[in-house]
Amino acid sequence: MSVVEVDGVWKVFGDKAADAIAAIRNEGLGKAEVLDRFGAIIGVKNASFTVEEGEIFCLMGLSGSGKSTLVRHINRLIEPTTGTIRILGEDIGAMTPEVLRALRAEKIGMVFQNMALLPHRSVRDNIGFALELRGKDAYHRAQLADHALETVSLHGYGDRLPSELSGGMQQRVGLARALAADPEILLMDEPFSALDPLIRRNLQDEFLGLSQNLRKTTVFITHDLDEAIRMGDRIGIMNDGEIVQIGTAEDIVTAPADDYVADFVAGISRLKLVSASKIMVAVEKHVARHGPIDDARDYPAARPEDDLDTLVELSTGTELPVLIRHDGNTVGIVTKDTLLHGLQGTEAP
Amino acid sequence: MSTTAAMSGAEPREVESRDVSVTVFADRNAAYYGSVFERLQKGELPFWHMNVAGLLIPWVWSAWRGVWLIFWISLALDMVGLVCLMQNFKYGPLLADAHLDPSANAILIERYTRWLSVYNNVGIATLILGRLLIGLQANRWYFKQYSKWRIAVRTAHGVQARRVVIAALILALVAPITLYRSTQQRIDERACFNQVRAIDGTRRLQSRYGVTEVSDLTSALADRRDRLVTERATLEASASLTDDQKGRLGEIRREERQLRREIDAVEDYKAVSAKDRFDCLFIDDFPTLARIDPPADVTYRRVPDEEAIAQGRRGATKVITQVKDPVEGRTVNIFTYTAESIDIGINFLRAQYAGIFDAMTNVLRQSLIRVEVAFMLTPWPVLVGLAMILAWAYCGTGTVVFVGASLTFLAVFELWQIAMQTMALVVVATAICIFVGLPVGIWMAKNRVANWITEPILDVMQTIPSLSYLVPAVAFFGISQPPAVLATVVFAIPPMVKLTALGIRQVPQSTKEAALAFGASERQLLTKVELPMAVPSIMAGLNQTIMLALSMATISAFIGAEGLGAIVTAALGDAQAGKGLLAGIAIALVAMVIDRILKGIRSSLSRI
Ligand SMILES: Nc1ncnc2c1ncn2[C@@H]1O[C@H](COP(=O)(O)OP(=O)(O)OP(=O)(O)O)[C@@H](O)[C@H]1O
Ligand SMILES: [Mg+2]
Repeated sequence: MSVVEVDGVWKVFGDKAADAIAAIRNEGLGKAEVLDRFGAIIGVKNASFTVEEGEIFCLMGLSGSGKSTLVRHINRLIEPTTGTIRILGEDIGAMTPEVLRALRAEKIGMVFQNMALLPHRSVRDNIGFALELRGKDAYHRAQLADHALETVSLHGYGDRLPSELSGGMQQRVGLARALAADPEILLMDEPFSALDPLIRRNLQDEFLGLSQNLRKTTVFITHDLDEAIRMGDRIGIMNDGEIVQIGTAEDIVTAPADDYVADFVAGISRLKLVSASKIMVAVEKHVARHGPIDDARDYPAARPEDDLDTLVELSTGTELPVLIRHDGNTVGIVTKDTLLHGLQGTEAP
Repeated sequence: MSTTAAMSGAEPREVESRDVSVTVFADRNAAYYGSVFERLQKGELPFWHMNVAGLLIPWVWSAWRGVWLIFWISLALDMVGLVCLMQNFKYGPLLADAHLDPSANAILIERYTRWLSVYNNVGIATLILGRLLIGLQANRWYFKQYSKWRIAVRTAHGVQARRVVIAALILALVAPITLYRSTQQRIDERACFNQVRAIDGTRRLQSRYGVTEVSDLTSALADRRDRLVTERATLEASASLTDDQKGRLGEIRREERQLRREIDAVEDYKAVSAKDRFDCLFIDDFPTLARIDPPADVTYRRVPDEEAIAQGRRGATKVITQVKDPVEGRTVNIFTYTAESIDIGINFLRAQYAGIFDAMTNVLRQSLIRVEVAFMLTPWPVLVGLAMILAWAYCGTGTVVFVGASLTFLAVFELWQIAMQTMALVVVATAICIFVGLPVGIWMAKNRVANWITEPILDVMQTIPSLSYLVPAVAFFGISQPPAVLATVVFAIPPMVKLTALGIRQVPQSTKEAALAFGASERQLLTKVELPMAVPSIMAGLNQTIMLALSMATISAFIGAEGLGAIVTAALGDAQAGKGLLAGIAIALVAMVIDRILKGIRSSLSRI
């Protein structure tokens, strides 16, 4: 059972949402035409995905592509126009307000793009807010809040007001607030976007460790592909409200679904991303072109899942191609040529 | 390119090049407006730049292009100019008349000539300058509309003949009657009233005589007069009359007098020309000359209920209804009708729910007495000290000095106790305002229907002159303190309600969303997020409420409230300026002391 299941969700803003959806389905209208004809704005267009337990699912896309809108559906801050969302197997659209509130308070933590801290409460009280709603006593609240503050390296700022903190610090308070109540699911809307590279990297590592240890299921929004690749077990790419591709970082980099995705991944270093299995040439093909493999010679060998970085290392200092071996068999061959093409992301001839 | 289109996200409208959008916006003559707008944006448009259509035919131009503001302004300017010129038709004939006998009318001639020249100059100047103004401003305004249109697509744009038709209708409605009016002398005040009476009377006669045509009525009346005259003549001719006949003679004379009045009325009626009617209906007062029968004159009274008392229910009472016969032929206008109906309604409520009103009065009186006692029996040094400590804690030393000085003023002029009476009234009224205003404000912020209902009521409450509140308060609760408290509450509560609602409404959506995302219920959202964040606004409302309560507490001295206001009203009655002035200053000082201290508390709160 997946922890989060989003199934055929549409969100169209405007009065004539239903008509607009029908028209998009039947006539394939674009965003501009829908706005023109129905005065409706497409927020999310037929999105479906699942997130498994302990997985970090990254949503990425350009500004305005509907990431925030989609993630707000997961805790039903926004009602979908059509479609269902299931959390831990339960349809949240059918939940009563009380059940939904309990779910939000106990199972889901959220970090907001615009922080959305409560300006009249101290940092500590902000972090303890979810706990307070659940009726936790003040003592434990303060302890948990201080602990969360330490996690985001803001120790000692508990008694400040949010307005006294910098933007990046506020963002970390937002993160601490989501973590403090120890929810199973985290919805994170660009949580690190206002941070400097150093702290961002620290927090990314911190968070990765955390979610591995505690097996938090996370939907993580970013518009930074590097971050998505670092953080995400899988990545969903959104364009104009639509999820155009879902896959691992490698899938997306090696086989972009369309030009939009290709544009996106164009500048990405493939060294650490692409594995040997993606670029290797089948043995027969190699033999047909370059002649048979001379078993007497000392070919460098690698596994299929080794990345290009490893292959480059193996290739330097020898004339020979790299053999990709799996379970004692040679399953493919990577020549220097293939390797260079693989690094560039172009098809070998 | 594709990337920028996707980036813009929110609103992919066809506005990438300005010329295209100007073409869509201006429709006709787009090239001209394109270049004008461009020069305007670059700041190259000289100040004398003129839209010729705006100069020559501003009404048509502005309506056609939907620049309604220009339409209204040019209409107003042109009307003012034309009305001035129309005075020629009004004073021209008078001047000509006066010239018939120049020596006797020297003053008149001089006066009319002066008036006419002033009117002509002003009229021509308004027309010319007005048109110049419109011509100069037309394109600038049009550009503003263009800018607005680019944000809000529904803004009027393009050219539409339909709008010209609407403009023509407006002109047809406004211009002729205004210009006609400006050529006419003022109508005599009684003329229209007499006219209505003549018309009314004739109608009644028509129905009495059962005729529909006025000419028939005249002949019927004439017939009757002839008959009466003949009968009188025969009676007067006979030498001796019986008592019966003498009586009949008197009767005939009376009838004749009555008949003469009726004939006069019909003559008046016939003299009413179509022009008179038109003038009375359209250019004089608003035509509220309608006369209707007054509401039935009913009084409700609560009396001991003998039957119930006989059955053993002691002190039982019931409401009895007394209806007086209507005064024959009395008709009233709508104002009087409504006012009398309201009186009757109040009378009914007062009698029917006497228990409730008395109970309310009692509660108010009791709580007032308690608070008054608290204020008046607390030794003055305690209160003064308290005020100064508050001022010291929340405000600067300047305020402490001010508070000390103000309170000394009250003490020195022996106004302390009286001021405390006023304070008691203010405190009770403010407490009620908070208890009622806060929930209503919350309700109003949360519920669209509630807002829709409450908003206009509050607006009315704020605009009705404060003295008007006193009348219904007296009607329901009699005079003295309790109705004064109620009138004060009604007068002072709107800011409390409005600012509470405002404060709650201006909590950012994103903050509320965050609270909801962490599982807040509606109630928690209110108590933990919205109300705390609305505190500054609510405090501002409270401050205003207290100030209004203080001013109303003064005014309610008119209905017997005690306190500083009573001194002022008494001084007013006896024309004792000094006394009134001192009491007035005392009120102002009390107000300022409260205001300063509250402001201090507020700003210390908002530092959080
Ligand atoms: N309440 C709303 N009413 C109308 N349109 C909305 C509303 N909320 C979002 N939209 C529209 O939905 C689209 C997606 O917005 P969303 O905030 O989800 O983008 P995003 O991918 O999060 O962008 P960013 O990276 O800038 O945060 C935008 O075109 C936006 O204009
Ligand atoms: Mg967003």
